[in-house]
Amino acid sequence: MTRPDRRDAGQIRALHCVLGQLSRADGSAQFAAGDSSVLCGVYGPVDVRVYDEKLDRAHIEVKLRPATGLPNTKDKWTESVIRSTFEREILCHLHPRTLVQINVQVRQDDGAVEAAAINAATLALVDAGIPLRTMVAAATCAVLPGGAIVVDPTLEEAAGAQSVHTFAFGGDTAGGPLHVDSRGDFAMDEYNACYDICATTAERVLAFMRSAVEGKIAKEALLVGAS
Amino acid sequence: MVAEIGPSNVEAAFLLESLAKGIRVDGRGIYDYRRLKISCGPTHGMVEVHLRQTRVLARVSCEVTRPLPDRPTEGIVQFSAELSSMAAPGLESKTAQEVAITRMVERVIRQSRAVDTEALCILAGEKVWLVRLDIHFLDHGGNLIDAASIAAIAALKHFRRPDVTVDGEEAIIHDVRERNPVPLSIHHTPICVSFGFFGGELIVLDTNLLEEQTQVSNFTVTLNAHRELCALNKAGGIPLNPKQIQRCIQIALAKVDEINEKIQEALKACAA
Repeated sequence: MTRPDRRDAGQIRALHCVLGQLSRADGSAQFAAGDSSVLCGVYGPVDVRVYDEKLDRAHIEVKLRPATGLPNTKDKWTESVIRSTFEREILCHLHPRTLVQINVQVRQDDGAVEAAAINAATLALVDAGIPLRTMVAAATCAVLPGGAIVVDPTLEEAAGAQSVHTFAFGGDTAGGPLHVDSRGDFAMDEYNACYDICATTAERVLAFMRSAVEGKIAKEALLVGAS
Repeated sequence: MVAEIGPSNVEAAFLLESLAKGIRVDGRGIYDYRRLKISCGPTHGMVEVHLRQTRVLARVSCEVTRPLPDRPTEGIVQFSAELSSMAAPGLESKTAQEVAITRMVERVIRQSRAVDTEALCILAGEKVWLVRLDIHFLDHGGNLIDAASIAAIAALKHFRRPDVTVDGEEAIIHDVRERNPVPLSIHHTPICVSFGFFGGELIVLDTNLLEEQTQVSNFTVTLNAHRELCALNKAGGIPLNPKQIQRCIQIALAKVDEINEKIQEALKACAA
């Protein structure tokens, strides 16, 4: 089977990430898979509005802005997905009565943007030094009309697919997914196959993110050592 | 969110003292622009502008729509720029600061008629192109207006819309893979150049964040490549004498040429 961009069914697009680009945010990361690219800036823990203040934990706020046009319902949905995924993984109880704000800007949407947004948010939170239970990695795969399963679909592939599945996992994929989003028509065995594929893909993405963070810290350590 | 706290008195005093000696905190000369980096692509109409820390992303997209009833032969240029907390903590949309910045950029692009709207007509009274320009402020390191105007103009020039053939009452919109997309028709390229004032005779070009927070007044000159004035903006602040304004315009003339060259270079580099 050939895909429009000549990838194998199980092959993800080239990953690229840059950490700490933004000067004003406490932590930031740009995560790109092929042409899908997301920038995330995190502030936290910072002062919280009285209305949102929680006595025993930090309040998490997510703002997502699409590449073109105003935020629509789907963008609001993605916002809530990111919030509910990270609400459990950020150690909120360590920073009561504060706010952790996650700003996500989609630079370009070429499929699997929800997964890219979750990955960018993880990297930005790590860059900001917000205590996390685990690093979260997400992956998407699509079931095409013939029954073939392709990982990391482009916008074109996702539009023609029978069903699209996004899973987010913590550091240990055996512990089950942190987030599942399945859309379209699918059978249980298709779902199970997608689950397995996304779990292995998420592990690979996580290894990539980990090496990016390690690279940045090693570079900073060199700078500190030199001065 | 915490409201933005301005610089401390010590920082402001240091800045003013060094400016009086002709030294800027980031080591530039008084009339130097920060290093301008323009990156285009990967898709048409996507341009990111860096002015050191300041970062602005512009995206142009288009769709077919019905024309406005009072202008049946003109396409529509829609403009959206919202400040969000991405750029700086506590920045929010629908504030006076946002209005000041977005109005200026909108005036520069839309009201100076930079885009030829008549060329966007497909079928008079029936179908026209709607060109959407989204400006995303990613990082606020001072002088958002200039960065936004450069990003907007570069994105409009970089953008390609699908080709259309009209056959009687039928309009065929060709897929970009079928036929090469065509660039927009652009009349001129207005570019903003902003100055900060610190009282007395002190004028500074392209203020960074600290300077922007300390300045007592600012002034934006908008010029195009034909050396024509498109807009001037001075909203409040200390009064300036006409000579200072003349001087600003002279400096802006030289800078606009440089910036235009940079834009051409960047567009050429990504076309190659």
